[in-house]
Amino acid sequence: MSNSAPLTTDHPGQVAAATPPAPGRSHRLSDRWLTVAFISPALLLLLAMSVFPLLWALYLSFTDYSATRGGPAHFIGFGNYTAILASPQVHLRTYTTLLYVIGAVTLQTVLGFTIAYLISRRTHGRGLLTTLFLVPMMLSPVVVGLFWRFMLDAQFGVINSMLGSLGLGQVEWLTQQRTALISLIVVDTWQWTPFIMLIALAGLTAVPKYLYEAASIDRASEWFRFRTITLPLVWPLLLIAVLFRAIEAFRLFDLVYILTSGGPGVSTETLSFHVYKVAFLGFNTGTASAYGILMVLVVIVLTQLYLRYLNKLKED
Amino acid sequence: MLVATTMAACGQDDGANASAPKAPATIPELTKDPLTLSFIWFDWPPAHALEAFANAEYAKERPNVTVKVNTVPNANWHDAMFTQFAAHKTDFDIPILDSQHIGEAVTNGNILDLTDFVKKNIDVKAYDPYLLAAYGQFPQAETGKRDENASLYGLPLLGDTWTMIYRKDLIGDKPPRTWDEMISVAEKCQADHPGVSGLAFHQANGSDAAAVTYNTVNGVYGGNLWDPKTRKIEGVLNDAAGQEAMDVLVNKMKPLTAKGSGNWFIDEVNAAVAQGKACIAFNWIAASGGLLDPKQSTLGTSREQILDKLGFATLPSQKTNLVPLGGMGMHVSAYSAKPNQAEALNFMKWFEQADIQKKWAAAGGVPSRTDALESPEFLDAQPFNQVYTDSVPRMRDMWNVPEYARLVDIENTNVNAALNGAKKPKDALDDIAKEQQGVLNSGSRKGGGGL
Repeated sequence: MSNSAPLTTDHPGQVAAATPPAPGRSHRLSDRWLTVAFISPALLLLLAMSVFPLLWALYLSFTDYSATRGGPAHFIGFGNYTAILASPQVHLRTYTTLLYVIGAVTLQTVLGFTIAYLISRRTHGRGLLTTLFLVPMMLSPVVVGLFWRFMLDAQFGVINSMLGSLGLGQVEWLTQQRTALISLIVVDTWQWTPFIMLIALAGLTAVPKYLYEAASIDRASEWFRFRTITLPLVWPLLLIAVLFRAIEAFRLFDLVYILTSGGPGVSTETLSFHVYKVAFLGFNTGTASAYGILMVLVVIVLTQLYLRYLNKLKED
Repeated sequence: MLVATTMAACGQDDGANASAPKAPATIPELTKDPLTLSFIWFDWPPAHALEAFANAEYAKERPNVTVKVNTVPNANWHDAMFTQFAAHKTDFDIPILDSQHIGEAVTNGNILDLTDFVKKNIDVKAYDPYLLAAYGQFPQAETGKRDENASLYGLPLLGDTWTMIYRKDLIGDKPPRTWDEMISVAEKCQADHPGVSGLAFHQANGSDAAAVTYNTVNGVYGGNLWDPKTRKIEGVLNDAAGQEAMDVLVNKMKPLTAKGSGNWFIDEVNAAVAQGKACIAFNWIAASGGLLDPKQSTLGTSREQILDKLGFATLPSQKTNLVPLGGMGMHVSAYSAKPNQAEALNFMKWFEQADIQKKWAAAGGVPSRTDALESPEFLDAQPFNQVYTDSVPRMRDMWNVPEYARLVDIENTNVNAALNGAKKPKDALDDIAKEQQGVLNSGSRKGGGGL
C-alpha cells in the first residue's frame, strides 16, 4: 500500500494538487486520462443516441428520403421546410397544440401552486401529503391514458355513471371536438400538477422565515405578505417548472395516442402526433425530419427568450 | 423518434433492390436444429388460436420447430412491421399483412415473391380465385377475379368479412334483407326498447375502423372507392352514389347508435352486443367468437341461451350485395435468415393442405380453401361460419397500393369527423376524395410531401 497523498495543507492558498503523484501511479492514468475514461462512455452514448440522430435528421430534412422506399436521398434544399410552414394541416395542428399547451400549463400552474401553498402552511403530515400528491406523476402516461379512457367512456365509464347518479346527462368526453381537447387537458393536469406542486413547494419552503416575521411585526396583511414576499421569491423557480411543463406539453404524444387517436377527426391531433403519422404511416422521412427539426427550433427559441426573461428577473 | 428515423435511415441500401426477391420454387433443405418460426400479427383471438394450433399440429411434422406469434396492438400493426422492414432487419419470419399492405411491402422489396413456389406447391384450383388474389396478388386484382399472370406474394391465412349480428328476441328470427329495411327495423327496435340502441358499428379513427364502415355502405349503395385503371378518386368516391352512402351513414345510421360510440371499434361493438345494448350490430366474423361466451355476456348463462337471442346473417344488400373483404395473408420476410425462410415456405405448404385447413377451421380459424369452407368441420364450428361461406362471392377490397396507409388514414379521420359532428358529411367526403387524390398523384415522389 502506498501512503496516501495529503488532500489539504496547513497553509491556506497552497494547492493540494501540487503534491507529487503517489508512487507507482502510471503516467497513463493521470487525472486527465481518468476523467476522460470515466466520461467517455456517457459521452459516446450521448453522441450515438442524441447528437448523431439529430445531425442525421438535419441532413435528411433537406432530402426527399423515404425510409421504406429505399434509394438514395436527393437534396431538395428547403423544400420540406417551406412545405411544412405553408401547410394548412400543420397550421391546424399548431393551433391545437397551442390551445393544449396554454390550457394544460395554466391549469397545472394554478392548481400546483395552490396545493403547494396550502401544504407549506401545514406543520403536520406535510411529507405524507406530498408523497400522496406525487403518485400520479410516477405512473406511465400509457397506463394513465388507458384508465382515463375507461373512466371517460360515455357508455360504460365511471365519470358518466357518477354524473347520472347526480341527475346530470351523459357527456361524450372523447368523441366531441371541445370535450375531447378538454379531456386531454384534464388528464394531463391530473398527472402533472404534482410536478409544479413539488417545485413550488421547494420554493415556498426556501423563503426565509424572518421576512414573514418582519412583515408580521409591521402588521402586513396575509395578501400583502403573499404578494410582496412569497410570490416574488417563488416566481423564478415556478417559471422554471412552467418551462419544463410547457416543453413537455408541446411534444405531447402518448395521451393523444391512447385517449383520442387525434379524434374526432383530427381535432386533437397535436404536432407530435402529426409528425408520427408523417414519419410512420407515409414514411415520408425527409418531411418528418424537417418537421421534427422545426419543432426543436421552436422549443429552443422559446426557451432562450424565456431564460433571458428569467435572468432579467433575477437581476432586477 | 429521431433515433427511430435514424435507425431506419441507416438501414438503407443503394436503392438497387426496389422489388420483391423471389422465393425458390422448391423448398430448400430444412434444418434439423431447434428453430423458432416467428409471426407478427395484431393482438386478437385468432392470433392466439394460430399459435396454439400451429404448435399442436405443425410440431407433429416438424418437432424441432416452435411457432411464436408475436402480437402488437391493432393500431401499431402496420408500424411494427414496416419500421422493421425499413431497417432491413426483422424479428419475424412470417408477417401477417392486411391485404392492402401488400402493395407497400412488394414495392419496397420487403417480402418474397412466391409465384414459382405457389405454382409448384399449392393447389390453386382449390380456392375461390378472388381469395387467392386478395391475400397475395400484386398489382391488385379486379374485384371478384384473379389475374393468373400476376405475381403472388402471399397465401391466405385467415378469411374474414362482416357479419350482421341481430337480436332475435327483439326484432324477430328473420334478419332484414335490405339496408333500408335494416335501418327501419333498427329504428323501431330502438324506439320500442329504451336503453337499447338500434345499431352498433365501427366508428373509431384508429386503424381502418371508420373507413371500412363507410366503404361498406358505399359498396352497398353502388359507389366506388376509385377507378384503379386511371387512379382517379376525386369525382369517383364523391359521386352521387358516394354522397348517398355518406348521407345514409351519418344521417340515418349514426342517430341509431349509442351516445359516445364515436370511438368504437371491434371490442366496443362486441361489448355492446354482449351487454344487450344493441339491436343490430356489425363486426368482423373472426372477432365474434367471444359473443357466445357466457362469462362475457349478459344475454344468457349458456351458449344455447345466448344463441336463442343472437342471430348472425350476411349483410343486407341494397343497390349491390357487396361486403367488405377482411382477413389476412401469410408472407415471407425478405430479411429473415435462409433456414427460417425455408421453414416458412414449408409451413405455408403444410398449412394450405385440405385436411390442415379443416383442422384450422375446427380450431377456430377461418380457412380459405373452398373444400374447407364447405366442410362440416367449418360450418358446424360456429354459428356465423355459414355467413362467411355465403359472403365469399360478394367481397370487395380497398386499394392495395403502396400509399394505402395514408389513404386509409385520410378516410378514417374524415369519416370519424363526419360521424362525430366535426365535419359536414359532404365536406368530409369531398375532403377525402381531394386529399386521397393528392396522395395518389404524388405517389411517384419519393420522401418529400406527406402532410
